Amino acid sequence: MATYYFLIVGHYDNPIFEMEFTSANRETKKEDHRHLTQFIAHAALDLVDEHAWKTGNAYLKTVDKFNNWLVSAFITSSHIRFLLVHEPKNEDGIRNFFSEMYEVYIKYSMNPFYQVDTDIRCAAFERKALFLARKYLTG
Amino acid sequence: MSVSKGLVDDVLFEFLHAELVSYVLNSSKDGKKGDVTSLEYIGFSSGYRIIERLTKEWPRFKDELETMKFICTDFWSSIYKKQIDNLRTNHQGVYVLHENSFRFLRKISSGRQYLEAAPKFVAFTCGLIRGALANLGLDCTVTAEIQQMPACKFHIQVQKN
Repeated sequence: MATYYFLIVGHYDNPIFEMEFTSANRETKKEDHRHLTQFIAHAALDLVDEHAWKTGNAYLKTVDKFNNWLVSAFITSSHIRFLLVHEPKNEDGIRNFFSEMYEVYIKYSMNPFYQVDTDIRCAAFERKALFLARKYLTG
Repeated sequence: MSVSKGLVDDVLFEFLHAELVSYVLNSSKDGKKGDVTSLEYIGFSSGYRIIERLTKEWPRFKDELETMKFICTDFWSSIYKKQIDNLRTNHQGVYVLHENSFRFLRKISSGRQYLEAAPKFVAFTCGLIRGALANLGLDCTVTAEIQQMPACKFHIQVQKN
């Protein structure tokens, strides 16, 4: 019962892309945690910025913990933040997911019609995110 | 802007840039000739977007000076195939980039004849630098000074607020 909530945050702390991934064998949906995970992700933003100043790495491992949810972050050179709220610990998978997601984001941001810090509304982007999540996260 | 060693790309970029300058300056609105502001803005959005791609493998920069060094080395060599010849700073937000042989000015004859027309060919690059620094978190103003063709100096003033 692994759920992952992925969020890309722009420069003004605005969400530009969000997606939830759950493992395939989940028959009944008990409660919808969406509002809670979104709240946890936004609360972790301050900590992400704090960790960002301490290190030059792009991948900041786990920046925050809430009950049994962990928040991992990845920050690019242009200060776009990728957040993942997850229950199980899966560092390698998450790191790979972030790097590949970063590549997809770079390709998308090179589009001259895409204005940075605006919402990402693209079916191909969503499909790619889903594919990478299945590959590295839910497995 | 090519990061490969393809020969055609260099020439293509120079021609495209020359045509860009000519197009922007000849597009007259209300009888008034176009000015370099739109050219600078084109450079700004290009620089802003390309940074995401160029800094892919790089760790984040700790301070202004590191960012400036990146601009002078990798950023410049991936676009103009060479590094900046000299970087000067007063450590208080003012940086001067010395370029002894600026790519777009090399093809214009040196000497005083075209000195007045030369600033139009550096406007795009000023915007490029400004856009790149803006996406790396530094707001600044960039101006260019041409005393002797084809040498050029870019003055960067970082805004502090």
